[in-house]
Amino acid sequence: MTRALLLLAILIGISGNARAQQALTAAEVTQILSQAASEAQARGRPAAIAVVDRVGNVLGVFQMTGANNADPGVAPVGIPANPALRTVRVFDNPRGQNTGLNGAPFVPDTLAAITKAITGAYLSSNGNAFSTRTAGQIVQNQFNPGERNAPSGPLYGVQFSQLPCSDLNLRATSGTTGPKRSPLGLSADPGGFPLYKNGELVGGVGAIADGAYGIDVNVFDRDQDTDELIALAGTVGFDAPANIRADRITVDGKLLRFSDAARGNLASDPANPAALSSIAGSVVAVTGYFSGTIQAGQAFLAITSGFALDGHTYGLLSVILVDHTATRRYDPIAGAGLTAAEVTSIMRHALTVAGSARAQIRQPLNSSAQVTVSIVSGTGEVLALARTVDAPVFGTDVSLQKARSAAFLSSTQAASFLRLTDTARMAAPVPLLSPLESLVTTYLQQAQGLLGPNAFADGVAMSARAIGNMARPTFPDGIGGTPSGPLSRDAAEATPGSTGLQLDLVFLDIVTHVLFVRGDAPADAASQCTRTPAPMGTRVLANGLQVFPGGVPIFRGETLVGAIGVSGDGIDQDDMIAFLGLHRAASELGTGLNNAPAARRADQLTPNGVRLRYVSCPVQAFLGSRATNVCRGL
Amino acid sequence: MRLIAALFWLVMSPAYADDLAQLRRPGVPPREVPADAPLTVDPGAVAPPSRDLRYEMAPVPDRWRLVETIGVPDDPWNPYRQSTIKGDRPIYKDYFFGFSAILDTVYEPRSFPVPVGLQSTGNPGDNDAFGRTPSNVLSSSLIISSAIIKGDTAYKPPDFELRFTPVINKNRVEVDEPRLLYPDPSRGTTRTDQFIGLQDAFLDYHIRNVSDRYDFDSIRVGIQPFISDFRGFLFQDNQLGVRLFGTRSNNLWQYNIGWFRRLEKDTNSGLNDAWHEPRHDDVFAVNLYRQDFPVLGFTSQATVLHNRNREGEEGFHYDKNGFLQRPAPIGFERPRDYDVTYFGLNGDGHFGRFNLTASAYYAHGKDRNNPFTDEQADIRAYFAAAEPSIDFSWLRLRLSGAYASADRDPFDRKETGFDAIFENPQFAGADTSYWIRQAIPLIGGGGVALSGRNGMLASLRSSKEEGQSNFNNPGLVLLGGGADLDILPELRFSLNANRLWFADTKVLDTLRMQEGISRDIGWDLSAALIYRPFQTQNVVLRLSGAVLLPGKGFKELFDSFEGNKTYYSVLSNIVLTY
Repeated sequence: MTRALLLLAILIGISGNARAQQALTAAEVTQILSQAASEAQARGRPAAIAVVDRVGNVLGVFQMTGANNADPGVAPVGIPANPALRTVRVFDNPRGQNTGLNGAPFVPDTLAAITKAITGAYLSSNGNAFSTRTAGQIVQNQFNPGERNAPSGPLYGVQFSQLPCSDLNLRATSGTTGPKRSPLGLSADPGGFPLYKNGELVGGVGAIADGAYGIDVNVFDRDQDTDELIALAGTVGFDAPANIRADRITVDGKLLRFSDAARGNLASDPANPAALSSIAGSVVAVTGYFSGTIQAGQAFLAITSGFALDGHTYGLLSVILVDHTATRRYDPIAGAGLTAAEVTSIMRHALTVAGSARAQIRQPLNSSAQVTVSIVSGTGEVLALARTVDAPVFGTDVSLQKARSAAFLSSTQAASFLRLTDTARMAAPVPLLSPLESLVTTYLQQAQGLLGPNAFADGVAMSARAIGNMARPTFPDGIGGTPSGPLSRDAAEATPGSTGLQLDLVFLDIVTHVLFVRGDAPADAASQCTRTPAPMGTRVLANGLQVFPGGVPIFRGETLVGAIGVSGDGIDQDDMIAFLGLHRAASELGTGLNNAPAARRADQLTPNGVRLRYVSCPVQAFLGSRATNVCRGL
Repeated sequence: MRLIAALFWLVMSPAYADDLAQLRRPGVPPREVPADAPLTVDPGAVAPPSRDLRYEMAPVPDRWRLVETIGVPDDPWNPYRQSTIKGDRPIYKDYFFGFSAILDTVYEPRSFPVPVGLQSTGNPGDNDAFGRTPSNVLSSSLIISSAIIKGDTAYKPPDFELRFTPVINKNRVEVDEPRLLYPDPSRGTTRTDQFIGLQDAFLDYHIRNVSDRYDFDSIRVGIQPFISDFRGFLFQDNQLGVRLFGTRSNNLWQYNIGWFRRLEKDTNSGLNDAWHEPRHDDVFAVNLYRQDFPVLGFTSQATVLHNRNREGEEGFHYDKNGFLQRPAPIGFERPRDYDVTYFGLNGDGHFGRFNLTASAYYAHGKDRNNPFTDEQADIRAYFAAAEPSIDFSWLRLRLSGAYASADRDPFDRKETGFDAIFENPQFAGADTSYWIRQAIPLIGGGGVALSGRNGMLASLRSSKEEGQSNFNNPGLVLLGGGADLDILPELRFSLNANRLWFADTKVLDTLRMQEGISRDIGWDLSAALIYRPFQTQNVVLRLSGAVLLPGKGFKELFDSFEGNKTYYSVLSNIVLTY
């Protein structure tokens, strides 16, 4: 088998893994679980604890007796309670009525723990260690949360990626290959950390004991968060290197948070944990995620991880995705209006820009940006997807979301797609869960009220950044007392658990998935978010809408032919890699491809006197160069 | 005239008349006139009166009415004539009223690196971080100062002084990019604002004289000016406080002991906001001046200032425009307290032909919450500056040098970047200089200024006026030279050239996630014309222009939409004083 895989690797042009990648062994997974469980035991706070590898394979889930039993078995309306289930409650909207996932009381605690572990693993890399606390800081309505007049978190919306309905993220049935989907997207609840061995990211650990799938809305104090303390105990011996932790990384001069809990706060000695078998609780199977047997993690970039090095497709070293049969996923192909050669060129140039771009979120300083780049057709078909070597895994899915979002909302069909989506939703067997979810035409109407009756049908080129401008709880972003952005929930309702159009497009998918895992729904969510029997095809938003920067549409002359999405580094870097990569490819190709004509771009629009933005390239873009204003005039 | 009046007043009092016989300079033995010395070269002259001779005395109403009777009328409109509202004549007994009014108007076109709006830009196609740099300020202040003073101040300090100085300011700023003036980009690129600040409101009470030389102890309570050293490097402000001060040994020694509770500043005028609760920030100052030390003509000063800041508890403080000021939006952005003691040695004067101003400070203290580590940190920072100069008739040549220590590792437990309490440096060209005059936002590195307005230190504060001191900063090295040319009695022309560097850029590297930013800030070149058409301070016209020629480090931090590599600062200023 190994030989066959090796042969395959050679055949498909995978250059082989030059560096010895680290991975968690099953014994180490057990150790991590026992360290965390010992801390939970010492605190008398039974927890659900999960360990995953870097690509999202769930390696172990331990549920302690009595964990999260405040509301045993709470079920959604109309479904009988299941007392065997331990559930947690999603945080409430602090400002008003709960909508979206806010206040949802029926999420199994194992799913919350898995989501937190995946978040720790996915947001991190060998150059940055981010925790769920970091996530909580960068997805809220303000950055920093609670700072009046500050614009939203740079990754506002990333929590709704890696969705259980994603057509990109794989499921447990795909063997060990990743990236795996995450039950609830990404988590902002403290208590999820990345795990490292010898300075290399090998996975993540997540814990939940407080019954609350929460978010820290006050990042200016220091909490003693039970979940965080338990998960932190799990990381001991697998700690993130101190110099790459979030608290050594600034975004616009602000340091990110890694952990409010410190080793000294632990109630147990993680060096001498109780044996897992001696702790009241059990390793439990989780439908769709975990078999019930603790297993070893995959070495990242081993072909079995689903990520593999590739030396020739784009003429430079990159990482591509492979499936469990070692078949390459997302090799460059032609799409409507784009040739495979053009797609290849755009990808090559984008990866090249990334290679020379100064990273925003990585240590040591002056590392190059590490990202995933996705190129899609005008209808969201993946034409190519490739990564730089150490890009954080979350960007795999997010880059595709951004590309699809830019293509979709730049399309003249977007408005009718949204109407058809509502038609399909109303025809679904589950009635509209109002007020938790809204019809998506609600947002269309708001946008048309603001931008004009032809909004999303007039072919204005919408970048991911422009979409984000319109998808914030306030418009302009961060300014209190202003109405919400047209694609957002009402300002009083919008939270990271209820973003608006983004969530409402996939709300039913997420709920269906959770019910399926609970055993309350007969079928899982399909591997295609936002199913719409529409003329635009099935891939339009097949892994969900994304609302933060890093994607631009691709035009040939005046015609929309696709989009490019980038994710993994700072949002300005993501913007630049997409925008400049496309521009440079276009210049080289000379085939009429380019960024959207300037006159069609979203930054021509000034709704309510507030000009939308198209892209924002970083202050000091490149390594080894003082060039600034690198996107000017393009 | 006043001398005669004072003499009359003296001799009126029998007690003084008795003392008159003993009148002599304190500490100096009476000089005996040698009996055999020729009294005069003119034998026909009247012999001088004997020292012990009693004067003939005639009562007169008082010396001020006396001058009126001899034809010096009160003229409130001409400040150079006798005027009751200028304190030349009492309003009641020996109570005087002093009034002055100054209209100070500045028009200031300038350019500095400007970020494009984050959520919204001024123009389509703004795809980058750096925006259009030109902007201008028009600001006019009417400073109205009134005082009631008890005591004739011609010979002795007043018994008390009650002073009240409100300042009415109106200002207007125009910029080219939204979100620079207000956080809300829809509020546009022009801002007009006004404010009434209170710059003086104090009672000065003369406690006692301690010598025949009128060495004294006084206490002053209220909003009052204070300067920590000769050039305002550390703390120069008009602040609410209590200050005991006085002199000894015929004014050879001077001392100040003060406690100030700092008032909030109005954001756009920079004036004292007396209508708000004061800041939770105290300055305790003790200093001692010694004149003619170490040489005649040079004054030395030793000082200790302690700054106790307790703004960690107050929550977030936003300025009037809506930008966060405290804590500064850098690092962990968590509210913090700090205590720092400054030990200073300062001097000003001349050594023979050479003039010298010099200052040295050592800052020692604790930051309760280092913004980069979230832990307590020791503050250990220092500062030194010197400005030697030499005069050749109408020409003065100056050299300036300053060093402010930098923080070399923001993540350790020491903060070694020097920051002042409230600097107002009269140094190296002062507000003529680009670097000192203009605030430069640290674009992409947080909502702080690289250096503040009317400030020299690159201290990365949210603002000089409303921010807290920040000891995690890149420090500063300044070397410069200049010349003051008194071309005409009415006209002075000044030239300055300063070369600027950061002392260490590690903090900037961290804030910008950009390793290896050069220390080189660049050249700051400026010229100023000061024209006083009447050779008085009543009408002063000032025009100055400065350019910053950015060095490598500045270019690695900033750019402009126009691609301009030079930034300018023009100051045109009219000061009319009554």
